[in-house]
Amino acid sequence: MHDPPIASPGELPALPPLPAEPLIAAAPGAPPPVPHPFRFDGQAGEYFRIWIVNLALSIVTLGLYSAWAKVRTQRYFYGNTRLDDVPFEYLARPLPILVGRLIAVALFGAYVIAGQFSLALQLGLALLVALLTPWLLVRGAAFRARYSSWRGLRFRFVSDYAEAYIRYLLLYIPLLLTLGLLYPYVKAKQKAFLVEHHRFGGHWFAFDARPGHFYPPYLIAWAVMTAWIFAASLLLGAVAVALHASGTSAKEPAMGLIFGWMAVFYGGYFVIWVFLAAALGNLVYNHTTIGPHRFQSRLQGRRLLWLYAGNTVAVLASAGLLIPWAKVRLARYRAECLNLLVAGNLAAFVAERGEDVGATAAEVDSLFDIDIGL
Amino acid sequence: MTRPDLALRGDYFDGRTGLRHAVELTEPAPGSLAVQGDGIDRREALAELYITPRLARTSRTIAFPDGARLQLADDPRLDRLFPQRNRLETLVDRLERHYQAVAAAIVICLASLVAGYLWGIPWLADRIATHLPARIETALGEQVLALLDRADLEASTMAAERQAQLTERFAGLAAGLPGSANYRLLFRSAPTIGPNALALPGGTVIVTDELVELFGDDRQLDAVIAHELGHQEQRHALRQALRSSFVAIAAAFFAGDVSSASAVVVAVPTVLLQSRYSRQFEDEADRFAHAHLAALGVSPSWFAAALQTLGEEVPDDAGLAWMSSHPSTQARIAAADEAGVAFVAAHPERAGDEPAVVLLDDADVATDEACQMCAACREEAGCADDADCPDCDDCVPCADADCADCADCAPCADADCAGCAACREEAGCADDEDCADCDDCTPCDDAENACGDATLPAGT
Repeated sequence: MHDPPIASPGELPALPPLPAEPLIAAAPGAPPPVPHPFRFDGQAGEYFRIWIVNLALSIVTLGLYSAWAKVRTQRYFYGNTRLDDVPFEYLARPLPILVGRLIAVALFGAYVIAGQFSLALQLGLALLVALLTPWLLVRGAAFRARYSSWRGLRFRFVSDYAEAYIRYLLLYIPLLLTLGLLYPYVKAKQKAFLVEHHRFGGHWFAFDARPGHFYPPYLIAWAVMTAWIFAASLLLGAVAVALHASGTSAKEPAMGLIFGWMAVFYGGYFVIWVFLAAALGNLVYNHTTIGPHRFQSRLQGRRLLWLYAGNTVAVLASAGLLIPWAKVRLARYRAECLNLLVAGNLAAFVAERGEDVGATAAEVDSLFDIDIGL
Repeated sequence: MTRPDLALRGDYFDGRTGLRHAVELTEPAPGSLAVQGDGIDRREALAELYITPRLARTSRTIAFPDGARLQLADDPRLDRLFPQRNRLETLVDRLERHYQAVAAAIVICLASLVAGYLWGIPWLADRIATHLPARIETALGEQVLALLDRADLEASTMAAERQAQLTERFAGLAAGLPGSANYRLLFRSAPTIGPNALALPGGTVIVTDELVELFGDDRQLDAVIAHELGHQEQRHALRQALRSSFVAIAAAFFAGDVSSASAVVVAVPTVLLQSRYSRQFEDEADRFAHAHLAALGVSPSWFAAALQTLGEEVPDDAGLAWMSSHPSTQARIAAADEAGVAFVAAHPERAGDEPAVVLLDDADVATDEACQMCAACREEAGCADDADCPDCDDCVPCADADCADCADCAPCADADCAGCAACREEAGCADDEDCADCDDCTPCDDAENACGDATLPAGT
């Protein structure tokens, strides 16, 4: 959630061909677009102090303070993310977040506990959440956009519930019928939905990737995963046979083999997932434009893998105390890899029409501005 | 009265366009603020303005009532201009800058992590368990049973008379326990699980056919059932379910924000933390079994014997003790044996009735020497198997689970077999080595069975 709100396509995990800069629809004779880098200036030590103090306060207040903690955290990550040397701002107030959290905790707690008692109950709850997901998603995107600003202008997410239900619910039916083959198509439709319903400074965000762009990364990931599982099973099978032949009791190495297989499986899954995330992140940003400007993302799977692996080890080994360090490292790398190719003038943005809603309307609205992390 | 010292620079945005104006801030009169430069010239009463709370080195924003925003680097002079606008966040900001406060926060976080795990979650889960209607617990048990029946369990193939006999023993064991009205024993065959007994929420105890067949003496089965009744009496299944849920929720909450750093961050600690609760419950159920058996006049050594027999069948993996759901079998045997010794001390009249339990210390378990001796001894004597090999008694100590050979020689050292001793006596042999007939009683590993009758005629 600490991504800068650019196009806020959520936790974006792009490999497809980086569109060469001339791809930008530049009028003939117009000056070439100028890359403006995103920058993240947060520091691990500084964020650690914010994190630990706010966590302690959240604990001491039995979680009630956590909404304030979230606002401070978001303000830190937004405020330290800059484009054209102008920081982003997070404007949400804690109370609506507290309400959203209480609802999320209740739902999640009910879901987990239900799972221990009744499968039917848990399935029922899961179904309810699935039915609510598109609605929650739209509310969440609207909330984050409304409370994100840059150059004194707020982002906006134009709610379209019908389309959300099509892309986040109805499309799952053909997905199931095709045994998952449509997954990249569905993902493409969902990303397009999120990007294209955002507005900033009088412009729509536009998304020009076709579903066909999403197939190569997924197909590669699936192929590599299949090959990996096959090779790992073969190898461990050979080990098992060798152990058996050597006359060791059959029961004993069994556990070792199972753990070995799981380690190899999850290791492979982790590596492939990170590369896929990098590929998809690049894909989404590289096909996102706002007005005349285009995004450019250059995440590298190898760098990202190194970051995630290091973060995982550090967080586990430090009993969680290095979580701030991990988050700052990740945010810095993500910002480092992102550019806005500016064609023309960044100051040419204007406020969204209808944004100056009266205070009352804003208050009533914000009652339903429930931010539920999805 | 102008304050000449206040000359701050910032970026002014009017809230209607993205145009940036480089401006300068001054305080032309107390309580008012002037913003000038780059085409901007406005004056506002300070009371009309809002400033974002201080947060590390993050830039501050002054918000104007008409939507204009002024961003500027943090500066102590700003807090003199806007004193105490947001008390809570001002306080929090001060804490974040204090090393002592940060140190205290670390202590609070780590301490509550540990305390929550050691006491908080167990307390909360147990409170809920106490107040949960029995109906729900029963329903939960039915769910689990249905799941198990679909996945791992099959109908028992045990003879009806045997089932009836064991059900009666079960009733005897459960009699007098506070929850006994709800307790029932079910038989299932479990080829995949093997010899095992399960305590489901709501009072159901399942024993597998494999377990019943494994034990030579029903008192071993009694001991295992006493352990399962311990789980039932203390509602361990329900409490474990609740505790596991809370650990999962807490882990997801703590690591939720690093979700991108993969599920490993959440899964590994969750499993480790849950398994420790489980080991505690096993210990509790063991202690209950010791006491309950003793109260019924049965030596807790039978529990040790049962574990030993099980241990030979299902070796435990010492290397993974910290993520295991059960304590080490060796430690459990030792504890049960200790309880057995105490029992004999208290009931000297029962001495001689308890099973032979071979206590191993870790050194013994670690080496296979004894086992190799076993195989060697048999080879030396030219015996095809233990039954033919009188020397095989020597290899009793090697109950080492690692040693496949050893399983074979255990039955021949069966001290439980009254027939064995009787046959030896009858034949007048001092020990097995002298007693050729003694081989005959090897098969009789069932103490209840009238083995003496079957073997004696052969000896006489």
